Amino acid sequence: MAILSDADRALITAEYQRDCSAGREQFGNFNKADLRAAANAVDDWISTNAASFNTALPVAFRTGATASQKARLFMAIATKRFISGV
Amino acid sequence: MASGDTLCTFFPADNEYTGANPATPDLRNGHPTLDFDAATDEFALFTSILPRNYAGGGITISLVWGATSDVTTTHACRWSTQIERGDTGTDFDADSFAAVNTTGGNPSATSGAPTYTTIAHTSGAQMDSLAVGELFRLKVSRDADGTSGTDDMTGDAELYGIEIRET
Repeated sequence: MAILSDADRALITAEYQRDCSAGREQFGNFNKADLRAAANAVDDWISTNAASFNTALPVAFRTGATASQKARLFMAIATKRFISGV
Repeated sequence: MASGDTLCTFFPADNEYTGANPATPDLRNGHPTLDFDAATDEFALFTSILPRNYAGGGITISLVWGATSDVTTTHACRWSTQIERGDTGTDFDADSFAAVNTTGGNPSATSGAPTYTTIAHTSGAQMDSLAVGELFRLKVSRDADGTSGTDDMTGDAELYGIEIRET
C-alpha cells in the first residue's frame, strides 16, 4: 500500500493539533517536528502492515467488507482501547 | 511621557480582522482569547490613535498569550507585529504595513498561565513613521510556518491582550 502524500501528512498533523487544542489537551515534551515524524511513522506502519491486517480478518468479513468498512472497524477498536471516555 | 509608560492596550474583542486566516475568537475559563493555529499563519488587526503624550521614541509591543496544549518551555511560538500608519497620505483601499518585526516566545510550564513576549519597534520605518495623534493599525500574527524563525510549539497560541508602551 502506498504511503500518503506529503500534503496529506501535513494536513493530518495540522488537524491533529487543532483537535487537541480544541479539547484543551496538554501535550508532553514533543514539538511540531516530532509530531510530524510520528504521523509519518504511523502512515509508514499502516502501509507496511496493511496486508497483514487484512489477512488477520476472518474470511467472511475480509471478503465481504469494503476497505472503508475494514478501516472503520480498525478505528473503532483503536478508539475503544486507547481513547478514554469513549 | 516616560519611557516604559503605556500608550494603548488591545484585547481580543478589539480584533477587526476578517480576511483570510483570521485568528479564532475563543474563551478560556471565561477569558476571551484569539487562537492562532500551529500550522497556518493567522492574523489579528487592531486600530487606535497614537496618544498625544507619546514622546517620539520607539515602542515596545507586549503580547500576553498562553499555549493551549504545549507546556514545554524550550519550545517557541513565533510572533510577528506590523504597524500601518494612517496619515493623510495613506490610501485605505490597500494595506501598507511596515515590515514585520518578529520574536520567539516560550510557553509557560503551567497550562493556562500567560506568557509575556515583547517585540520592539524603533521609531521611524519600523513604526511606518507613525506620528503622534495619527490613526494606526497593529497587525499581529503567528508565524506558524516558521518563515522568520523557529515555531516548533505544538497546538494553538491564545492571545489574551496587548500593551503598547514607549520603549
